[in-house]
Amino acid sequence: MQPNLTRRQAIARTLGLAGAAAMAPSALAASPHRKQLLVLFLSGGASQLETWDPKPGTKFGGPFRAINTSLDGVRIGELLPRTAKIMHRLAVVRSVNSNLPDHEKGHYAIQAGRLAPGYPVLGSAVAKLLEQPGDVLPGYITLRRDGPKAYTDTGDAGFLGAKYEGVRVINGLPPDNLIVPAGINAAALQTRDAVRRAADERFLRTHAKAPINGYGTNFDQARALMQRREIFDLKVESPKDIERYGRHDFGQNCMLARRLLEAGVPCVRVVHFDWDAHQDNFYWHQMRCAEFDRTFVTLLDDLEQRGMLEHTLVVVTGEMGRTPQINNFGGRDHWGRAWSVAMAGCGIKHGVVHGMTNDLGTEVKEDEVGIGDLFHTYLTALGIDSSADYHLNGQTNPVADPAARPIKAVLA
Amino acid sequence: MNFMNRISRFLKLLGLMAGASLCAEEVAPLHEQIDGLMTKDWAAAKITPAVTSTDAEFFRRLNLDLNGVIPTPAETKAFLDDRRDDKRSRAIDALLSRPEYALHMARVFDVILAERRLPAVKSYDVAATAWRGYLAESFAANKPWDVMAREILASDGSDESQPGAVKFYIARDAEPHQLTRDVARVFIGTDLQCAQCHDDPRFDDYKQADYFGIYAFVSRLSFFRDNKLNRSFVGEKAVGDVTFTSVFTTKQGKTDPRLPGGKMIADPKLEKGKEYVTAPSNSARGVPVYSRRKQLAEQMPRAQTPGFSRNLGNRLWALMFGRGLVHPLDLHHAKNPPSHPAVLAAIEQWLVQHRYDIKGCLREIALSRCYQLSSELPGGVEPPPDAFAVSAMRALTPEQLRWSLLQVTSRIDTHFIRTLDQLKKTKPAEVETKLKDWHWRKDGYELLEKQSSAVIAAFSPLPGTDDSKIDPVVDHALFLLNSPKIIELIKVAPGTSFDRWGALSDPAALAEDLYLSLLNRRPIAQETEEVTSLMKSTKTPKERAEALQPLVWGLLLSAEFRFNH
Repeated sequence: MQPNLTRRQAIARTLGLAGAAAMAPSALAASPHRKQLLVLFLSGGASQLETWDPKPGTKFGGPFRAINTSLDGVRIGELLPRTAKIMHRLAVVRSVNSNLPDHEKGHYAIQAGRLAPGYPVLGSAVAKLLEQPGDVLPGYITLRRDGPKAYTDTGDAGFLGAKYEGVRVINGLPPDNLIVPAGINAAALQTRDAVRRAADERFLRTHAKAPINGYGTNFDQARALMQRREIFDLKVESPKDIERYGRHDFGQNCMLARRLLEAGVPCVRVVHFDWDAHQDNFYWHQMRCAEFDRTFVTLLDDLEQRGMLEHTLVVVTGEMGRTPQINNFGGRDHWGRAWSVAMAGCGIKHGVVHGMTNDLGTEVKEDEVGIGDLFHTYLTALGIDSSADYHLNGQTNPVADPAARPIKAVLA
Repeated sequence: MNFMNRISRFLKLLGLMAGASLCAEEVAPLHEQIDGLMTKDWAAAKITPAVTSTDAEFFRRLNLDLNGVIPTPAETKAFLDDRRDDKRSRAIDALLSRPEYALHMARVFDVILAERRLPAVKSYDVAATAWRGYLAESFAANKPWDVMAREILASDGSDESQPGAVKFYIARDAEPHQLTRDVARVFIGTDLQCAQCHDDPRFDDYKQADYFGIYAFVSRLSFFRDNKLNRSFVGEKAVGDVTFTSVFTTKQGKTDPRLPGGKMIADPKLEKGKEYVTAPSNSARGVPVYSRRKQLAEQMPRAQTPGFSRNLGNRLWALMFGRGLVHPLDLHHAKNPPSHPAVLAAIEQWLVQHRYDIKGCLREIALSRCYQLSSELPGGVEPPPDAFAVSAMRALTPEQLRWSLLQVTSRIDTHFIRTLDQLKKTKPAEVETKLKDWHWRKDGYELLEKQSSAVIAAFSPLPGTDDSKIDPVVDHALFLLNSPKIIELIKVAPGTSFDRWGALSDPAALAEDLYLSLLNRRPIAQETEEVTSLMKSTKTPKERAEALQPLVWGLLLSAEFRFNH
């Protein structure tokens, strides 16, 4: 036998890890009924008036019309013609008052379901709460194009730690370094991994568990991603399908999101940028809505056809809405007092519009909903007890804001 | 008014005096105060703190915190074998007096002050050498923080003796709202962001008027690029008033520059047409006769400014513990009080009495038993992180990781030995002075930085994130496993530690050197045994080095290496 192998066997024996390095690629834990989450995040803050809650012909209504939808008596902005035809499959909340006209705070609070800092965002929280033994793929993957604002990735796993942090996939490219460089022999890699695990096991005996385990999980996740890197490869999709989703970052990321959900990733978020229309709001919303409308409907159709919508909750939200008042630059500014959020899929009542703003859209008139209520609703739709607590590191923290409640009217 | 009276007035203003003694001489050293107060807090919360760290734990942590890099095996061995009772305080003083202290603090304060931000046009940034040079110079001279803060806030980039100091403004494009938020966050530890549009509903103490009071200091500023000089400056107008309206109450306000808790500062009346030294135009930045920016630079760095001293104390604490006494570092308000108010007050008081002596304060913190606790859990129980009752596991910052990888592989030593040999040949008379000179070290380190820039790129979080928020993620693991850049750094190559390791034919000696190099401690018996068995059938230095490489790599991937603990 070659000296190399003898040596490898020797160290493996000493480390008490013979064979451990050849850990079998764990089967994906995606049972057919596992619940999944997809968040479409309209970053910058989409205008509710140009989308879900139009007020045509009023002082603040802007130039666009409202159009009929597949839901009797419900009209939405004309920039979403395809979405209008599937309104009977959605639930829209028109009475969100988050009170946070700010990108960074909004990004955090809307996704964490509270103002208090340090909590996990929706994707990280659901990744933790829906975790199953044997999971190896990251619990949460977030897709966006490059060139983020500082607030884009605000928050994330909070006290849940690195294991539940959203893995960032930028410009549709798989994470860097998914391939073992050529010229490194497999025996060396086995020794390396065995040494790392043995060292961590030893260190773990006397030290704080969470950071060590979280760090170790990063390596398991890395291995799983290396083994499944084809899930990032959009080239296997037909040109026709690529066209259906739209040849822009949001379209391609939504297609990738579908692939990742199919592969068993529990939570995926797609960020759609540039809704922050302080100038030329109407021009911008024509552009943004055109991308969103087609891709969104294509995605929902695909999820439905593949039987995935039954167990996948789809949430469409931004970090805030936009002011009814139109500023001197034809823009709408930051606004958190009366805006809209949409949902579809698992656990959601179809064809519901909940809540109402006043005639000018400046205030919520009926059924006001706060960020905590939305968070409870998402968890409940996914079959998670939103009144539960996290028990971690000797601390107890509520999963969702105890002062808030799920919105019964939109839950199936 | 004599000095002590002035101090006493400051302390009264700060609400720190509870009839306690005024004189610094009568007060116990700060590290004793910290330990006394912490012990009381632990007892009250029924928390058993960890035991005192081992020498190896302490020495690694101290090197990372004060010099930004793990120690060399020779340094570690010397420290472990030192039998003197006061070796810990000696080590603290030695590390604080090395040129590396200034260079490390320059990297740390670059992140604190610029937060990895860049101007919109990246090439318009302040030259890194100018900014880092300014910081290193300041820390090498142990410049008081109030002086540094004043220089940074007063700078418009035109002072040729410290052109880098303008970075705080340029990194934020001199954009007034961004500056308002970051002046408050970085210098007084409060985030007034929400108060921009209305009184912050979360916190009674964040008022919209406070936000606009700071805003009024910087609202007249703008970014100016001088294309002839190829440099960026801050321009300022002589006019422009600040009014604001709450989006909730439509209540209106008008404000002159004012720091939270301070008085408004009205502009002096200037004769019409004589407001400018240089009037702003397309080709020239505005330089007003009366500058509100300079007012900010005067008003902010004073003990009377609520939060100014506390913020520094809290940030220095976070530097040494990975977490602030107020946490997050920029969210000090009534509902997020310090976890140990008396400790923070004592540090604050010390800083005021010692004229914001950063090095002295770090020295005191390092001397405390609290800092010197072990990271091994007391009785296997993990106390809450804000108790500071066990040394926290904190991921190495990108900079600490870069330098530690270069240290492990002996790249730093090799590089400086080569440069020194060169110097001995060409300018032997300068060797002694150069060794103590941070400029010389800095120039040397810049070449090493180029070899390891991929580490910084892979591990740096997004702009606006401070070092206390760094958490390992899967991208980091992938980098450490597969990146050609990391493999290049840790492969068997001449001039690296593998030369030394390959030459050690005695497995026990080899194991000791390996563990001293990688984990800065001696190996336990089992680890020595593992090295021995790995070396069994190797004969030549080359064979040994090749056989060791996967073990070295594996240990570099271990949590014990990745964390400061």
